[in-house]
Parts: sequence; C-alpha cells; structure tokens
Amino acid sequence: MTGTGKEFHPKSNGLYGIGVLAILALAALPLLVRNEFYLDLLVMIFFWATLAGAWNLLGGFAGQISLGHTAYFGIGAYASTLLYLNFSLSPWIGLLAGAALSVLVAVFVGYPCFRLSSHFFALATIAFAEVLRLLAAYWRGLTKGGLGLLTPFKTGIGYFMFDNKQAYAYIALAFMLLMIFVSRAIKRSRFGFYLISLREDQDGAESLGVDTHRCKMVALIISVSFTSAMGTFYSQYFQFIDPEICFSISLSIQLPLLSIIGGLGTVLGPVVGAFLLTPIDVLLRGWLGGIFAGLNLIVYGTILIVAVMYFPIGVGGWFKIKWERWLKDWMGSPAISLKMDNAVTSLPPLRGPEESKTNGQVLFEVRSLEKHFGGLQAVHNLSFQIKRGEIVGLIGPNGAGKTTIFNLISGFYSADGGEMEFHGQRITGLAPPHKLCRKGIGRTFQIVKPFNNMSVLENIMVGVFCLLKDPRKSRIEALRIINFAGLSKHQFSPASSLTIADRKRLELARALATKPDLLLLDEVVAGLTPRETKELMSIIQSISAQGITILMIEHVMKAVMALSGRIIVIHHGEKIAEGTPAEVGENKAVIDAYLGKGFRRGK
Amino acid sequence: MLQLVVNGLLLGGIYALISIGLTLIFGVLEIINFAHGEFLMLSMYAAFWLFQLYGVDPYLSILVILPAFFVIGLAIQRITIQPVLNSPPLNQIFTTIGLSIILQNVALFFFKADYRTVKTSYSDLGLNLVGLIISFPRLIAFILAMGIIAALLIYLKSTYTGMAIRALAQERRASMLMGIDVYKTYRIAFGIGIACVGAAGSILMPIYFVFPTVGSLFVLIAFVVVILGGYNSLIGSLIGGLIIGVIEGFSGFFISPHLKEAVYFVIFIFILLFKPTGLFGRR
Amino acid sequence: MPIWARDFEEGNEVLKLEKVITHYGDVQALQKVSFKVEEGQIVSIIGSNGSGKSTTLNTISGVLRCSSGTIIFDDIRIDQIAPHQIVEAGIVQVPEGRRLFPYMTVYENLKLGSFNSRGRTALKESIQEAFHYFPILAERKNQMAGTLSGGEQQMLAIGRGLMAKPRLLMLDEPSLGLAPLVVEQVFETVKRINLQKITVLLVEQDVFQALALADRAYVLENGAITMEGRAEELLNNPQVKEAYIGI
Repeated sequence: MTGTGKEFHPKSNGLYGIGVLAILALAALPLLVRNEFYLDLLVMIFFWATLAGAWNLLGGFAGQISLGHTAYFGIGAYASTLLYLNFSLSPWIGLLAGAALSVLVAVFVGYPCFRLSSHFFALATIAFAEVLRLLAAYWRGLTKGGLGLLTPFKTGIGYFMFDNKQAYAYIALAFMLLMIFVSRAIKRSRFGFYLISLREDQDGAESLGVDTHRCKMVALIISVSFTSAMGTFYSQYFQFIDPEICFSISLSIQLPLLSIIGGLGTVLGPVVGAFLLTPIDVLLRGWLGGIFAGLNLIVYGTILIVAVMYFPIGVGGWFKIKWERWLKDWMGSPAISLKMDNAVTSLPPLRGPEESKTNGQVLFEVRSLEKHFGGLQAVHNLSFQIKRGEIVGLIGPNGAGKTTIFNLISGFYSADGGEMEFHGQRITGLAPPHKLCRKGIGRTFQIVKPFNNMSVLENIMVGVFCLLKDPRKSRIEALRIINFAGLSKHQFSPASSLTIADRKRLELARALATKPDLLLLDEVVAGLTPRETKELMSIIQSISAQGITILMIEHVMKAVMALSGRIIVIHHGEKIAEGTPAEVGENKAVIDAYLGKGFRRGK
Repeated sequence: MLQLVVNGLLLGGIYALISIGLTLIFGVLEIINFAHGEFLMLSMYAAFWLFQLYGVDPYLSILVILPAFFVIGLAIQRITIQPVLNSPPLNQIFTTIGLSIILQNVALFFFKADYRTVKTSYSDLGLNLVGLIISFPRLIAFILAMGIIAALLIYLKSTYTGMAIRALAQERRASMLMGIDVYKTYRIAFGIGIACVGAAGSILMPIYFVFPTVGSLFVLIAFVVVILGGYNSLIGSLIGGLIIGVIEGFSGFFISPHLKEAVYFVIFIFILLFKPTGLFGRR
Repeated sequence: MPIWARDFEEGNEVLKLEKVITHYGDVQALQKVSFKVEEGQIVSIIGSNGSGKSTTLNTISGVLRCSSGTIIFDDIRIDQIAPHQIVEAGIVQVPEGRRLFPYMTVYENLKLGSFNSRGRTALKESIQEAFHYFPILAERKNQMAGTLSGGEQQMLAIGRGLMAKPRLLMLDEPSLGLAPLVVEQVFETVKRINLQKITVLLVEQDVFQALALADRAYVLENGAITMEGRAEELLNNPQVKEAYIGI
C-alpha cells in the first residue's frame, strides 16, 4: 500500500488508460476464443478470481483467516437452486436471496468467532463448514442429500442459463470486474485503511478510533455476499450441485491459496493467482487425467509451503514492487505540493476553537479508581485531577500500575470500582477503546505499535480519519502532521523501516492526528539517545503549547521532571505523592519507594 | 445401553491417542498441526503394507512404526515447522495445510484411492464378557492405546527430557534459563506427537479401512477432542477422547449414524465460543 | 562445598562486558555497557525502571543477543552462544518475577534446575543442599509451585538456580513484591551463598539492600553506566538519589 502519491500526479491518467485497455482486452477474449475447452477455462479463471478476491477482503485486508468460506458458497448454491426448483424463482433473485441468507448466517455464527485467536478462528470456520456439509448431505427432504440437485436446462436470461459459454464468461467477467472495483474502492477509502490497520495491530487501530468490530463485520458481509453469489453462478453453470462439491474443504483452501500465491492483501493478487493457477490445474487434470491424479495438488502444496516461508508477499506482491519501482522511474517523484519544512510548524486546528481560553479548568478526573487481576490489586483508591493545558507526569517504581491506569483511561481495561470523568462526562465503563478516542482521549503505547506494512503517511492517515472521512483531505492533513513531527523524509517509507526514534515520533504523530484533548504518553522517550530525547521533548512542549493536555508516564526522570508542571507518584497501585517536581523530589515517601526504606536511614 | 458406552470407550481410546499427540504439539510449539490426520493415514498405510507384503500383524508393527514415525516427526519439524515458529499465524497455518495437501496427494499418487483393509485371524472375533459383546480387536486397540498413553505420561513425569517438554509448555523463558535447549525440545515434542499418531494408525488399521483422505475424518475428531479436553491438557485429551467416543456411539444410535459428526462439531463451536479452555485446560 | 569448582582465585575476572549494545524490541536498551565482576564478589547493578538492568542479565544469559560488544566469561567469549550453553558454562540466572513452573511441584522445579550436565550428576546432593538453605521448601516438597507465597517462591527460585551448580549466580530483582522482612531473609541467603564461593551478580531496585550487601556496584541510567565504585561509597553519594529521582 505504498506509493499513493499517484493520484496527485498529472501522468496518472496514463495508468487509467492502461487499466481500461486491460479491461477491454479481457472483454474481447470470450468473443475471440472459440474452442470450448479454453472458453470453459476462461470462465473458471474469472470464477476463481472473484471467489479468491472475496476471500481476500476478509483474509488479506482484514487479516481474518477463514478456512470455511465454502459454507457460504454452498448456502448460495443451494438457496438459489432450491428456490428455483421449488418456486420457479429466477436464479437472479435467488442469487440475492442466497447472499442475504449467507450474510445472516455469517453475522450470527461467523461474527462471534472473531473473538477467537487466529488458530482457533480457523478451526471454528472449518468446523462450521463441516456442519453445513453434513446438514446438506443428510437433510434429504430438503436437499436430496448426496443425490444432489440437478437443474434442468432451459435457456434464457431470466433462467440464468445459456446455450453458449460466452454468456457465462461475460457474467463471470462482470463479477470479477465488480470484485476488483469494490476491492480497489475499499482499499483507497477510509474503510480500507481501517481494515488494514486492524490487521496490522488491532489495539493500535482501536486507540485511533477504529471500530474494529464493525469493520470486521462489514468486511465479512461483503466477502460472504460475493462468495455466495459465486455459489449460485456455479449451480447455473454446471447445472448440478451436491454437498461434496458445495461444502468442500478443498474449496476453502483453494481461496487462500490463490490469494497467497498471487499476493495477499493486494487488489489484483487473487486475480493474478487465479490466472496463474487455474490454467495449470485444469490443463494438468485434462491432460494427465486419472493417471497422475493428485500430482497437481502435490505441486500446489509445495508451492504453498515455499510461498509462505520465503515469498510471503506472493507473486503478485513481487510484481507489485517491481511495478511500483518502474512507475516511480517513469513518472518521477510524486509532486506533492507541500514543502518540506523542518522547523516546527503549527498543528492543524484543534477540535474546538475555544479550547485555549479555558485553561485551568478540570479536564479529566479520576475518583477512587479500583482494578484487580485475580487476587492482585493493581490499582487501589486512586483519585486525581488533570486541568486543561497541564503537562502531568505519572511516575512510580516498577510494577506500580502506571500502564494499567492508562489502559483503564483509554478503555482497554474496565475498572472494578470508582469513577472517571472527561469534559464533565462520565466515561467509566466506556468501551471499546475506539469510543474513548472519539471522545478526545489519545494515547501512545509503551511498546510502539506501528502499522508495519503501511507507509508513514498511511499510518497517520488512519489517525486523521478519526475526524475526516475524505481520503484526499485526510492525506493533506496527514502531511501537515508529518511536517510537524519531523518525519517528512520518510513519508512514503513503510513503518517497519523506521529507526526506533522515528517510530516513536510516528506513534506520537498518529495519536496527535486524532486531535485529542487529552494525550496519554506511555514512556515515549524510553531508550532514546540524549539528543533524540531532547528533540522529542521539544515536540511535546509545542504540542502542549497548542493547548493539548498531556499525561505522561516516564522513567527517564530527567525528562519527566523537566517537562512536567505537576507530578503524581504511584506505588503498588496507590498514589503516594503529588506536587511539583521539586516537592516530589524531596518527598520522603517517594524516596523510600524508589530507593528502599533503608536508604535515607543508612546515610 | 451399556454396550453403547463400552463400544464408545473402546473407540475413544484411539481418539485419545491421536489427540494427545496434537495437544502435545500445540501445548509446546503453539501451532496447530493441520497435517496430523495425514500422519495417521500414512501409518495406516505402513501397517497395511507391512501386513500385505510381510505378513506382520498390525499390532506388532507398532514396534517398528512408533520409532519410525518419531524420526519422521523430527525431520518434518526441522524442515517445515521450525522455519515458521516465529512467523505470523497465517504462515504457520498454511505451512501445515500445505504439508497436509502434499501428503494426501502423495498417498493418492502411490496408493490410489481404493479402500484398503487388513483382515487378521481375529478380526471378527468377539468376546462375551458379563453379557456384553466386545469386539476383540477393539479391545486390544484400547489396551494398546491406553498403554502408550500411560507410558507417555510416565515419560513426561519422570525423565529430564520429558520434564523439559512440560516445562517449555509452561514457561519458555525460565526453560531457557535452566539450560534446556529449546529448539531441540521442540523437535522432540513434535516427534513424540507424530509417534503417537503413528502408533494410533497402526492400532486403527485392523478395525477400519484406509484411503488417502481418511486423515481428514479423524483429524477433525481430534480437534474436537483437544478443545473439549482443554488445549493444553494431556489428561484432558485422554478424558476428552473417551467422552467423544461415547457421545459418538450414542448420537449414532439415537440420532442418526450420519449426523453424529454434526453433533460434536456443534459441541466444538460451542466450547470455542463459551469455554475455550475446555474441561481441563488452564489459562 | 561444590566439587566441580576450579581453584578459587581472588581478583580473577570472572565476567567482563565490553561496550555491549543490545536492542530490546524497539529500544536500544544497552548503550555501550562495560563492567566486570571478580571472582568471589557480590556485584550489584542498580538503576531505576527501564534503565536496562534486566536487559543486561538477559544479554549475559543469551536470551537477548547483543548487537555489538563482547562478553567474556573466564576467558571465553559467550556473547554469541545459545542460552542453554551459557548455563552449561556456569552462569545461572534467577529471573525477575521468579518465573517458576507453576504446574510443577517444588521438587520438580528444583529437579529442572539441575537440567544441565553438572547439575544432573549432583542431583541428590544438590537437593539436600537446597533443603538445607531453605527448610521451608523441604516441608512443601510436593506442593505446586504456583500455590506458594511470594517469599517461598523466591526461595524456590534461588534454590532452583543453585541446582544448576553455577559459578556465577545472577539474580534479577529478588526483592520485587516481597515484604521487608522477607527481603532481609532473601539477602541473608544471598550472602550465605556467596560465602560458599559462588560469585554473585545482583540486579536490584532496592538501593539500600543492594549496596549494603554488595562489594562493588554500578549505576545504570537509561542503558548506560553512569556511576561505579565500592558499594559503601555509593551508599553515601547524593548523586545516586539523583539517578533515581532525577532531582
């Protein structure tokens, strides 16, 4: 997902030209190819491309690896066929009905499974598809069981059956193009950014205001609809379905296989995979017949393992990188109009215009907060206030509970007692974390969570999308923030290539992009060299100057003591001191907590 | 009625043996071996050919198959599993799936799709004990399976390597600090897991039939057993295996011989959603 | 008296780190750290959170690999070898937070401590020694480690470490989460262990206890050593407080 500067560039029209040509070429193929065998091949290529693309939306973009997609394929096939055979309902309507049913099933059964971790989610999807297969096989009254359903041939567009393969080819092509179009639209939209961000790091995404549950659900619905539609198509093309075909685990495996080999998470990856593997498969089976049955799959299995181990980006991914490099050379560097300015410029305007006038008022308040994990009391009877415009430092010895407090404030943990108020509104118990981001609480994480496979620009755009929906405007905002944070040099580089110091800046800039009123910084300067620390500290100071209230956890004492106007000291989950840095530094309880009771006495 | 329970238990013993290998692998290496069923299939073929070509009784060929499969397990771990131990789950899932595809089709290629069975002198022998009819081969199968499981549990409890395997499943960092060679232990754990399922295949051969995709049938049952018993509990796999054996017997009788699988898949999904630690699982 | 020990030489450098840089996840946790430990000493590394204390021990133990620099143990370079080989060589770490095997008994935890070849041959003897140091463990021999109290767990963790027959025993924050009285007992025990000619490297946040026990100490701040010297000197140095609290 790099090189998104294309859109601003005058030569980008050339790209559209190439795309149109490709579509025209594809559209011409069914007319040009006369041989039945090759025509059938074409149909199957488009068919698999659509199915793989649908799977890729959920598995590639959103990172939810389903191994049971055949369930929805089967539902689509059986629903439309049964409606047609029993009620003479046009399979086109049946297609929609099947899709609707699949979506219903997905939402009620598939969706709760998102809670499970990857391995278990995959298992659950397999089990679910198996249950459906068994149902289809043995509910003979409905499905005729293993006998399958035969659709008597009746040509006519209303019957979704044709006497020539060209028609089927065009329909399949139309679906494939629709799939590509939808994928592309999603990828460039806010929704697409959100999906990829939640794949990369779900917690990070939530902290930036991404409603991960809703996004997964939408991706599931779209994915399932297309899969189901292809089930209907299959039934109309082959005019015969049975439980073994429609609910087959090898279909479930074929979809991710095509996507992985073609390039997981890319728009054209599944298409590339289908174009590469379908012909090989069909031709192999056609030529070798039953003699070498299984040979093609042995090859697939090996390709799969090799791909997964050594070429995780897939053939399509490899091509994409070559393509983008060639593009860069051909078009020159994208001409983004904003200048690279290393001086700290002003931030984009804050949420509300009157913020700075109300400095000194209580912005955030915690009362008698409690949190325990099993028998361990992590936070006990904690109360404090934070006033608008302050920089407050939260310090305390190891295991004191500071990150737990942050997690409580930002919605990652739920409190066991006490109250929290933000802007005078009660926020205790508000969850999931994205809701707190939208209220105006932003945070960074102790161990930074960059979206590794997205560029720096895209990372920050995810944050900007919290308030801005349009990708173009979002990009401009993001660029302003990149300038402010001093990351201009790296704006198109993938986040994984940054140094630690820059990753910390990225984390900070990303949180800033959500325009928080209260910014929680968790050990931002940990592990930086003195010079990097100083640079980051000055950025923090200018953030504060813009009117953003800051609460920071820090162990680098010199930094936190220098920056903070006020310090709160936590030990064993309780507040043991509060005051200016100087006061806290002399506080007996604090010294005891850090250095051990004997230290003062020993002197 | 009691007959159903007994039959279920006898079959459950084999399920337990298959599943315990899976649990061991998941507990220690934290990957789900989607190819587990294929190793069962391969060992069944091995037992079949040993019988067909050399007349070796499947229950005796365990002596050869168990160590052989241990070595195979070591090799497979080194080649395919070790490289992806630190990769994202997607890569791990598809590595074992790829392996599964390869093994299934290699078997298809060499052995063809026909069903094969082994008929020994006692294949149809039934014993009459306390009024119940017990199939002799099933009884032997059960005894052998329990024996192997018992031996495994004792090994894990009392030998240094066995303890290292248990330690690694509980606390990886501390295991390293004890001087345990983590990667070597991973290999051994995987090897043992495969040896178990290899033995299970040998035991299963006389009472079932083999074909290239027989593994898929049994591995799904094994998944259910593992989740039911608790994904990191070996005892759980033992008990879970017996329970599923009995459930299968009952649902086969009362509901329908064909829908019995659906019953335990539904159980499976329920457990995953509502009590993911299963009966004996921890954390 | 351990039978495997070489001839004990005072002043002999047992462990030496030179300009070690370690990256831990995202952070450059150790920045050109250099220090040495002499035979028979108790050396303490003190510093506040995030200063890199655990990272130092984990780098020595091989759990983390340093990006540059050298670590020398008894004239052998150990910075590139696997963790289990480092234990075999004679460096044993009692990790932060104890990290016992929760579902194994006290006895099993101890036995696992003797996993390396030296430890195994001396198993029976070592168990007796462990019970001698920590009588409470003998009482709770068959109890699950996860059910012990904090102090008992720490005792077990140290006992487990001793089972490996270390030449250099490293302890990571043994006082963490323990009541003051128990902390005193733990440090008492460390002293007794040292008297048995086992060299100790102690990482601690409780500055007083650490400096009271140690012969020599180093102060880590943000991954770099900022102060060093004899423990009693550092105890009276106001800069130590500044290192911790910043003021």
